[in-house]
Amino acid sequence: MLWETVLPDALAGDAPRTESPSMDSDAFAAFYARSARPLWAYLARVSGDPALADDLMQESYVRFLCAAHPVPALADGEVACRRYLFRIATNLLRDHWRRPRAASIDGVPEEFLAARDASAQADSQAMLGPALKRMRPLDRQILWLAHAEGYSHREIAEVTGLAAPSIRLLLFRARRKMARLLREPAPSHRRQP
Amino acid sequence: MILRPCPREKEVKELLEQGHWPEACAPELRAHVSACRSCSDLVLVSEAFQRARTEAAGAANLAAPGALWWRAQLRRRQTALERIGKPLLGAQIFALCVLLVLAGGFLVTQARQGLEWLTRLEHLPQASALRLEDLWSSAFFTSAWSPLVLIPALATLVLLGGVVVYLASERQ
Repeated sequence: MLWETVLPDALAGDAPRTESPSMDSDAFAAFYARSARPLWAYLARVSGDPALADDLMQESYVRFLCAAHPVPALADGEVACRRYLFRIATNLLRDHWRRPRAASIDGVPEEFLAARDASAQADSQAMLGPALKRMRPLDRQILWLAHAEGYSHREIAEVTGLAAPSIRLLLFRARRKMARLLREPAPSHRRQP
Repeated sequence: MILRPCPREKEVKELLEQGHWPEACAPELRAHVSACRSCSDLVLVSEAFQRARTEAAGAANLAAPGALWWRAQLRRRQTALERIGKPLLGAQIFALCVLLVLAGGFLVTQARQGLEWLTRLEHLPQASALRLEDLWSSAFFTSAWSPLVLIPALATLVLLGGVVVYLASERQ
């Protein structure tokens, strides 16, 4: 039975009609062009996995568009939309880390490994990558949001779902640890006499 | 760990965000940053992350926004269908349960009456009740003939129950 023939109005939109404006495809394309690269950079560097970043970024946008109230944030402007998008991405990352992982490397596509090797040649990745790997996932997230995206403590709290007062302390500790790791010589340099 | 932020940290952060560090800042501030651990940490980490952001953003392999838009539309449609289907499915299951209870009740009642109406069925070919009007009237007004109405009704209900189960399973 086709329910849309019975209840056509119910399919017109998944959310009850609200006063908040919705995003049409052109507005979305413009928003996507401005926000996709920073979002991908966040996901790729925090997860350390470009292939995963591709998947999570697409899922983030789909969830963003499917949200029950698309964007209470839309009325607040693009900055709020971006924050909302980063919040979705952060939750997806957290869900990914909570899931049990495949133990075998056989399941990893070859091009993924090649991509990682290529990106490791970049200076910043060579310096930041190993240091990021030694940080806790939450520390990576808040450091990126604070220092790459320039978010305030309140905005980071909104994105991560943590209490704003604890962000200050967490960020201070994470930054200190990261600075120490960045000052340490790379392991390949340490082996040389 | 004692949280001791430097009072000049905000100033350094603003310079970093505006891209004015280190060229467009006073030598005195640069001297402060090289001496202050908190500020030097801030500069080191911020510069590393800003560089990483620029490089990673350039390496992004982006999907077409149109594809994402239509994927979202499909998912919204699917979600709406599921939301509509959920109560209907519940109603169908409820109807099936009622049907089963009625059928069970009927069978129990007939078993208690000893199925004496079956003996009447045996005499049916000889009886004048073979005429349709008589059969009809006896089916309605004689309590012993009530199965003549009940059996087809029950069969119809069972048939409808099957349709209900089919529809319910189709949704799964």
